[in-house]
Amino acid sequence: MNSKLKNVLLLLVMVLICTMPAQAFAKTEIVVTDNGWDSQKLHNEIARIIVENAYDGYVLKTSTASSTMNWQAIIAGDVDLDIESWTDNVATYPKDVANGDIVDVGVLAPDSNQGFYVPRYVIEGDAKRGIKPMAPGLKTVKDLAGYHKVFPDDEDKDKGRIYGSIPGWMADEVLHKKYELYGLNKNYNYVRLGSEATLFASLVAAYNLGEAWVGYCYEPTWVSGKLDLVLLQDEPYDKELFEKGATAFPSQQLKIVSSKYFAKKAPDLLEFFKKYRTGSRLIAEALAYLDEKKVSHSEAAKWLLKTHGDLLDQWLPKEKAERVRAVL
Amino acid sequence: MEYLFKFPESLRIGNGEAIDIAVKAFSRNHRETLGLIKSAIIASINSINTLLEAIPWPLLILLVAYMGWKVSKKPYVGPMYAAMLFFIGMCGLWENMLETISMVIVAVFLSVMMGFPLGIIVAMSKRTSAVVRPILDLMQTMPAFVYLVPAVILFSPGKTPALIATTIYAVVPMVRMTNLGIIHVDKEMVEAASAFGSTKMQLLSKVQIPQAMPAIMAGLNQTIMMAMSMVVTCALIGANGLGMEILLATNRTEMGKALMPGISIVIVAIILDRLTQGLIKKEASTE
Repeated sequence: MNSKLKNVLLLLVMVLICTMPAQAFAKTEIVVTDNGWDSQKLHNEIARIIVENAYDGYVLKTSTASSTMNWQAIIAGDVDLDIESWTDNVATYPKDVANGDIVDVGVLAPDSNQGFYVPRYVIEGDAKRGIKPMAPGLKTVKDLAGYHKVFPDDEDKDKGRIYGSIPGWMADEVLHKKYELYGLNKNYNYVRLGSEATLFASLVAAYNLGEAWVGYCYEPTWVSGKLDLVLLQDEPYDKELFEKGATAFPSQQLKIVSSKYFAKKAPDLLEFFKKYRTGSRLIAEALAYLDEKKVSHSEAAKWLLKTHGDLLDQWLPKEKAERVRAVL
Repeated sequence: MEYLFKFPESLRIGNGEAIDIAVKAFSRNHRETLGLIKSAIIASINSINTLLEAIPWPLLILLVAYMGWKVSKKPYVGPMYAAMLFFIGMCGLWENMLETISMVIVAVFLSVMMGFPLGIIVAMSKRTSAVVRPILDLMQTMPAFVYLVPAVILFSPGKTPALIATTIYAVVPMVRMTNLGIIHVDKEMVEAASAFGSTKMQLLSKVQIPQAMPAIMAGLNQTIMMAMSMVVTCALIGANGLGMEILLATNRTEMGKALMPGISIVIVAIILDRLTQGLIKKEASTE
């Protein structure tokens, strides 16, 4: 028993010694959040290509966790960056920025949308798939009140079903208030699914069968890139009324935020992240490519940088852009 | 040398796209059958839920307290259980608890209905055992998320996929413990029964199953615990109840708020555990 223990210890020491040189010459690790959704993964991979090729001495790592856990990790400084941050969905964001725990680096995408979506065939029908329009007059969220029979809830036959956002997101709180404010609670059940994977699975399942579906979705995602969805209209955005659920979501800015230590840790990278900017349509295009061709996020990132060659010039000085081009 | 350390890319197989397509096609082609299964499951869960909701809460608390006292024979257990349930009500989680319990009841019922006979069959034949055991291992270790999404595609989110996921997880101990219990029945007892000319069915119903009862009851108890432990996972696919409250709170990093439903789950689990454990002991003492 004792000699066995000794052997194991010896082995451990050997392994440590062998890996030490590698540790000593390691590059600076830049840790970015991976909260589990596709557009963020894609943005991370694009950043990886640039950080690891255009600059020397950096390697990009991802921290996979839920968005709230990762947010705490950025505040603590364990994670450096959230490249695609839905700051409007983070309740404590204004306070954290004011305290200096979170630093705004730049705006990644200026034009993201969220709200209640329906597949286009629900309103217009789809002759190719033999689907007749189910709710031809449906344009706004308020119109939903008259269409609860179109979106039946199998578990409660008399009511319709609206899929809310992910529990705990700001969007979910606002939508739930809206659901009560607009009187949709009379005829609808508000169903929350615990994760995006299952929320999108429910949408894909309904789309696959050509059934009606109404619920929360956002752009850019692979879903909005691949399926033909319509955002239901709502009252124009107003800051105070919005929190009561009375208006549409503002067209959100997706931000790049960092920990307070990042600027010191990698000042040269900060220049890039300030300029790093994509857009809803661009990312939806890449995500649809990813889903269609079944390629990895990093391959989709390469594909996007290749097909939109001007992006690199917008983000990087000329000589660095060339270095990235060389590896594509 | 590199090919020795890097698995060759040419040997890679696809990403399972064929399975995606097959699942989607299956859900399109078997809508009616799937719809039937779904409405049966929903109806059974809902009817148990209505039944539980029809019991006035003081009565339910008294009932549990009485059973606790009856089973444990200790005077302080009844009031303790009553206080624990009362605490759940004070947290505002009474309805959520009933919803969770009705799911657990249906899942446990299904697990027993399937697991008990399967356990007997596995105990009877070595060949079935060789096939079933790795499948049981798979059911216990396969991360629930892998089959949650296809279940959602087939049954749309809600109680149905949640129940299926719970049952997949909870049926395993029932099969295992039934199987073990029957295998470990005293050989001489079985031989004696055979010598007196009992048929296989008589042997099973009069000797093996009664002898294996403590193990089977332990299996039932484990099944209940497993079903309870799945409630948070089930909240991910739209099954309401205590799990959803936890999810809502943890996603907002409201640790305190998550603690209440967390404790409630523990309370429900403890009470269910002690009550079934008590039944096992009773069973054993009457032997």
